[in-house]
Amino acid sequence: MRITVFALALTGAICASLAAQESTIPSILISRQLAELEHIAVGDQVQWATGGKGDDARACRVAGIYEPTPDPMRLGAVPREVRLHLTDLLELTRDDATPAGTEHVESINVALTDPDDARKFAADVNARIPGVFARRAIGAAGAGTTFVVLERFHFAIAAVTIVAATVFLLALSIMLVDERRATVGVLRLIGLPARRILVQVLLEGVLIAGAGALFGLLLAFASEGLINRFFQWRYDTALIFVKVTPSLAAICLAIAVPLGAVATVAASWALLRRGGLRLARR
Amino acid sequence: MMAALAFAWRSLVRQPARATLGILGVAAVGALLLDMLLLSQGLVTSMQDLLDSTGFDIRVAATDPIPGEPDIADGATAAAQIAELPSVRAAIAVRTEDADVQVGTAKPTRATFVGVSGGRARPWTVLRGADIAGEHEIVVNQYAADAIGVAPGATVSLKAYCFGGAGVAPAVPFRVAGIAEFPFDAPDQSGVGTTGASLADACGTPEARTADLIMVTSAGDADAAASAIAERRPDLRAFTNSQAVGQMQQRGFTYFRQISTVLTTITVSFALLLITVLLTVSVNQRLGEVAALRALGFSRRRVVLDVLFESALIVGIGGLLSLPLGAALAIWLDAILKRMPNLPAALHFFVFDPQALWVHGGLLAATAVIAALYPMHIVARLPIAATLRDEVTG
Repeated sequence: MRITVFALALTGAICASLAAQESTIPSILISRQLAELEHIAVGDQVQWATGGKGDDARACRVAGIYEPTPDPMRLGAVPREVRLHLTDLLELTRDDATPAGTEHVESINVALTDPDDARKFAADVNARIPGVFARRAIGAAGAGTTFVVLERFHFAIAAVTIVAATVFLLALSIMLVDERRATVGVLRLIGLPARRILVQVLLEGVLIAGAGALFGLLLAFASEGLINRFFQWRYDTALIFVKVTPSLAAICLAIAVPLGAVATVAASWALLRRGGLRLARR
Repeated sequence: MMAALAFAWRSLVRQPARATLGILGVAAVGALLLDMLLLSQGLVTSMQDLLDSTGFDIRVAATDPIPGEPDIADGATAAAQIAELPSVRAAIAVRTEDADVQVGTAKPTRATFVGVSGGRARPWTVLRGADIAGEHEIVVNQYAADAIGVAPGATVSLKAYCFGGAGVAPAVPFRVAGIAEFPFDAPDQSGVGTTGASLADACGTPEARTADLIMVTSAGDADAAASAIAERRPDLRAFTNSQAVGQMQQRGFTYFRQISTVLTTITVSFALLLITVLLTVSVNQRLGEVAALRALGFSRRRVVLDVLFESALIVGIGGLLSLPLGAALAIWLDAILKRMPNLPAALHFFVFDPQALWVHGGLLAATAVIAALYPMHIVARLPIAATLRDEVTG
């Protein structure tokens, strides 16, 4: 894994590289959404300025159109973004009192030769360069970040849903077992032991739960593309909303099948403890 | 009507296990439904409450209601100009930077460093000690006080990291005047407040007068004051709290509204499907009994009402149970979501709203009626003689 080090300094910039521009007209990249909104194509020459009045407007050429990295937290906001070389941005935003080369940047991403040195390197930078705060990039994506929290939230919702589904499943199982009370009574009267009937009920439960879980997975697979396409269209984003992974499918099966089987057996247990005559009586 | 209700109740009591499980299932689904309804507007309501609780009802920024770039170049001057407007009661310029705060050579804590200039209003509430009265005085929040072990009266060393500040800002001594609460601080975030001039001094640029935003208290009519501010300073943008929340709703809060809509739909569909199945199976098991009742003289309307009331009782009792269950679940889910980084401690995702309660009741009532439609249809179309014959011969 490539580990980078963030050095957060003081001002903002949105750019990708420090490479010098040979062309007299700066080149920029614009987001697909902005290109569609303003009918801009690759190769077009556009004006850009820091203020709404366009007093300091300068020309630049659209070198390409890119798809912005989807951000779930900004769902619904159309990303009207431009990417340009840092030198071009500083050229435009630098005030007269600031000599070229002394501007502030927001952060510097550093790729180390040996990623294991990240912690030591960050400490070294903090000690040597006052006014700069360096930290391991991996720390920024640690356990406390937004997506981990959202994952826990989804897990909690899933847990509540499973509890509700289990309760309903038990109710249904009790009703279905009750419906077969007479059949079970006859089986007991002709000599089948309770254990034998229980195994049969268990197998039946496993089969039904397995079939139900597979149907659920098939439904999830089938609706995955539809849901993604609908929401990608609705929010004009490349974000993937639903992804049924093999591990997720395995977890669903691992929860659903035992749960269904246990619910069936639990519902049958009280019935099987009664005598055959009592069960067969109508 | 009451007789039908009593009969439905007896039908439920006669099968306690299935009735209890059905009610518990509705309670669990209803609790989730209530929480999703609370979530749909909770963050917006909470943010509105949080903004209103600060005592400022208008925010003025260079471009955006959320503090960020670019800064207002003449923050203090702009605040003074705005404060002069007749529709404005008070205006303060606020600048926020980062700073390391430490006592002696002990381990520092990284804090949000807020500088305020303009009127006497402050975007914090003093809990202990006193408010800042002069230069190089600070108030710190409880987390910072605990982190570095200081109390009012102590002296700390503060090294600021400022946008547009000196490359290497000096460590400046500050006196802790008091412990304050900053409404937008996360629970694990150190916060420090001082005057705008002291902050500029700590940044190594004492002449700087920039501000991230200007917080304004109107004389009563926030919309009129915002219009007056826009007229006085057309280069700035004034947002009332409602407008600021509206902007945030467009950007950051959409995710929770969407997930709430999706889960509300799924939850209601789930409840509908399962109650329909429960009632249908239950009715199918009692076809002979229903046919016998019809033969004894019970009208078709009466037996249909029995099924409807049975559904209403299951959903009604389950719905009532879902209220305390939903409240407890909301506390748990809120605690999970509040672990998001940099979230103000006072912000909540699930906020009680009477309207959500009405929608919850309406959805459950609709579920009870729709879920009962098919079993009601079975009972209404039941051939009495044929059913009784099947019952006897079967």
